[in-house]
Amino acid sequence: MTFFVTSAPIGDGGNLGGLAGADAYCQKLATAVGAGNRTWHAYLSTQARPGQPAVNARDRIGTGPWYNVKGEMIAPDLAHLHGDTLELARLGNNLNKLTGLTEKGETVPGLYDYADPRDNDWDYVKTTPFSNRHEMLTGSQPDGRAFTDTQDHTCNNWTSNKDPEPGTANGNLNAPDGRPNAQIGFPDRNGGGNGSWNSSHGTRGCSQESLPKTHGVGMFYCFAIN
Amino acid sequence: MPEKRFLLAALSLVMLASCLALAQDDGGQRGRPQPQRHPMTFFVASVGLGNGGDLGGLAGADAHCQALATAVGAGNHTWHAYLSTQARPGEPAVNARDRIGTGPWYNTTRSQLGQPQNSIISQDLGELHGDTLVQAQRGSNLFKQSARTEKGEVVHGVGDPPPIEHDILTGSQTDGRAYTDKADHTCNNWTSSGAGSAQVGHSDRIGNDNASWNSSHATAGCSQAALESTGGSGLFYCFAAN
Repeated sequence: MTFFVTSAPIGDGGNLGGLAGADAYCQKLATAVGAGNRTWHAYLSTQARPGQPAVNARDRIGTGPWYNVKGEMIAPDLAHLHGDTLELARLGNNLNKLTGLTEKGETVPGLYDYADPRDNDWDYVKTTPFSNRHEMLTGSQPDGRAFTDTQDHTCNNWTSNKDPEPGTANGNLNAPDGRPNAQIGFPDRNGGGNGSWNSSHGTRGCSQESLPKTHGVGMFYCFAIN
Repeated sequence: MPEKRFLLAALSLVMLASCLALAQDDGGQRGRPQPQRHPMTFFVASVGLGNGGDLGGLAGADAHCQALATAVGAGNHTWHAYLSTQARPGEPAVNARDRIGTGPWYNTTRSQLGQPQNSIISQDLGELHGDTLVQAQRGSNLFKQSARTEKGEVVHGVGDPPPIEHDILTGSQTDGRAYTDKADHTCNNWTSSGAGSAQVGHSDRIGNDNASWNSSHATAGCSQAALESTGGSGLFYCFAAN
């Protein structure tokens, strides 16, 4: 196994303790299933800050190939994973509902699994493991690179669990007014009007409670870099 | 007795009030954002023609789309099969993408209450085929649960009980255009149920290590049995061209 979806979120919304905290979480989950002999990194970008260059998710995950817990290949290399050419992008990688498994081999519940309006309520979702939770935090553009604009796409580089100020939520999944926000993708490719695995749309905020409002709980992708 | 009568009267009042409340709810919905209804302009043929890759050419396939659509009350559109044909002497190639109008295209589904609903498959040709790199990386909204038949049914794909029917005939490259090489990718322009091969996509976007809806792999042959051997039954996509 050199790829998995975290079986559970860290639980503090978009605050993952930065990249270091997210990487450590990947390592911990991998170790718990006997795969701690590899170096695991979270598939997350961070945005440039004064004196701090951006980090691209795609530059953090080694060169592949990556396999899920059942030995199924997700992608042979970075170009196939991201679709670096038109042809590769149109074909797409092999990440899908059946291969996008957690480190424990679980399928990630998506849009058509036990659909229930309470899927948007963290109090329900946290005790209902089969409810929809198919949004993976990535903070990345479709090519796997960090955003270069001034909006937040990374919950302040994975340190924020804040929600928008009252009255500024306005349903927009981007963050034009500087709202806390994270870009997400779908391992099952079902949603957001495009089905991107790594860059479909933003979130309503960065608190744990705001993530389920669009069907995520703060899970993310982990890749072995060696 | 009077108490019982009072109870009955009270009950009647409650029922009447409920009816009024329901009626008011109906009226109130005008003010709420409702999912917009669009006519169905996309479906996966619920059944194939049964003769492998011989569809009676493009004309036969188009007629099949039209007949299936008509059977569910959608015959007012002009339906075309999403199929390419390859160039032959004196006969230019036909690109599937040039046959299906300009979109947007909507499917038909049924909600849990049985109400027909429509969800978008794609806004336009560029999004459907991924004409730009970002469009291609993102993909369209065609996926297992949206690629419905004209009856609103999901097509069985990888992991579902057999028969799996997710191999959808297209004869096309990923950009929706005909192949330009010498090999057969269209079961001899949809007239062969024996020799040859056809390019297929996956309605569930799962299989062959890629996620292509329109150009994932070639079939083993053009007979019905050959189509079935890799998870197909000769289904194809139908789009309303108008």
